[in-house]
Amino acid sequence: MSDIVFELTDVHYSYPGKFPALCGVDLTIRSGEKIAVIGANGTGKSTLLQILDGLVFPHQGQVSAFGEQLSEWSHKDEKSAHRFRKRVGLVFQNADIQLFCPSVREDIAFGPLQMGVEAEEVNRRILEVSGVLDIRHLLDRVPHQLSIGEKRRVAIASVLAIDPDVYLFDEPTAGLDPSTVRHIIDFIVDANLRGKTIITATHDLHIIGEIADTVYVFGRNKRIVMGGSTESVLGDRSLLEANNLVHIHRHHHDGREHVHHHLPLEPHN
Amino acid sequence: MSNTSHGKRDFIERSILGALAFLKDATLSEEYAIRKGFLQSLDPRIKTISFLAFLVTAVSLKSALLIGSLYGLCLILVFLSAIPVSYFLMRTLLFIPLFSLCIVIPTLFSTVTPGEPVWSFQLFGINSIITRQGLGGAVLFVVRIATSVSLVVLLSLTTRHSELLKVLRVLGVPQIFVLTVSMSYRYLYLFATMVENIFTAIKSRVGVISHQQDGRRIVAWNIANTWNRTTQMSEEVYMAMLSRGYTGEPRLLSEFHARPKDWACLFCAVIVCASLFYGGHTL
Repeated sequence: MSDIVFELTDVHYSYPGKFPALCGVDLTIRSGEKIAVIGANGTGKSTLLQILDGLVFPHQGQVSAFGEQLSEWSHKDEKSAHRFRKRVGLVFQNADIQLFCPSVREDIAFGPLQMGVEAEEVNRRILEVSGVLDIRHLLDRVPHQLSIGEKRRVAIASVLAIDPDVYLFDEPTAGLDPSTVRHIIDFIVDANLRGKTIITATHDLHIIGEIADTVYVFGRNKRIVMGGSTESVLGDRSLLEANNLVHIHRHHHDGREHVHHHLPLEPHN
Repeated sequence: MSNTSHGKRDFIERSILGALAFLKDATLSEEYAIRKGFLQSLDPRIKTISFLAFLVTAVSLKSALLIGSLYGLCLILVFLSAIPVSYFLMRTLLFIPLFSLCIVIPTLFSTVTPGEPVWSFQLFGINSIITRQGLGGAVLFVVRIATSVSLVVLLSLTTRHSELLKVLRVLGVPQIFVLTVSMSYRYLYLFATMVENIFTAIKSRVGVISHQQDGRRIVAWNIANTWNRTTQMSEEVYMAMLSRGYTGEPRLLSEFHARPKDWACLFCAVIVCASLFYGGHTL
């Protein structure tokens, strides 16, 4: 059996009444890979994740998941929809969108319950994932009372409870404190070590070295302008500059102003 | 500029922010529901069924004295549930005149409720007579409203909203309805906070709104903007639901554990209601 998880061929997508979001994306993702998708705002990263999660479908081109064509028709019946959802989980950028239940416990239980998991097993999973993400003390809280970091961890727990083969993360560390960022990076690395496929859309170049072995750069033309190993992509300063991914960093050393490019893999002189 | 005109200018902003603060405090706060008290310790299903029985009793009885005794029981429960009685009285009795006074005043007079005169006086040159029957009916109405409102407020104060919604499922309300209500409740807070933030942002950029017309324009813009955001967010939330396996028929978590104490409380509630009905029948 092929180990290809996703295969995208010449994928185009436009939001109704808006500019195109993706213009001819070709991409192959294999099982167990750790991939990062980087690019400036509005280059189509989030749309790509939504397509991979079968939430929107390309207007042109083809997407296959686990060897089957992904289309609106492939999700029409409950069985095939659940078969797909059990294998792919998306952690949204805005945790408030993902946490729509009146309590954290119910949010974590929502996914498994929809997929017909028995109540006893659901409760076991709630305890397990809340332990992994250190949110057991939040289980009976209402989501709107949580901090951004807590919400993000609950959002991850709500996907972890489904235990999918593929995790899609949309800006998982945006706006979080360093400790929560560390916790999420550790979670991603650990999930990949357990054989899970990880696809992360992010701006945060500092975490890419840990969360990805392969990086794809999305350009302003809404296509992949480069793909390769993390080292090769992050080492290509002109590519990153051309795609708004590095900036000039200005700070003070020994009483004098110091200016350099902000690149995670570049030694700090 | 005078304080009066300043007050007028801030009227719209103060009204909206005041309404939002009230909304958050009255409907979204769970301060008392998480306290350790008698009602908080009961199974939400048993508690809700007991309160429903009390409510049915309150609206069925025709004796103000018996309904008043139920109100007394309600105040004892308030005390046992670690809720300050003064706070509870203020929260409930403030609203009762709003609901009942407008309706009850005309029924006092002989023109609406004929009967034995108690007091007659001239009102705008018209001879007005308050009757014993009118007064009795008004007292019964107000006591009934006060008791019913107090019971509902006490139930909502001592039960977490998520649990109340789960109880609706137990009572046979369709899951899709419960899910819709719980999601509306969930996002109410988010949008209330969003509107507050928009006003803070406006204030930080333009300072105090200088004219009522500008204020109205900002409110209108705010309504449109909030509408747009809610529409966009509803689409995204639906995607998040789909992403976790939702296919149109929601399945929700429902776990309650009734203990002997809960059944004993239900039994007591039934005894109280039956006694009051019996009392009402024999009076």
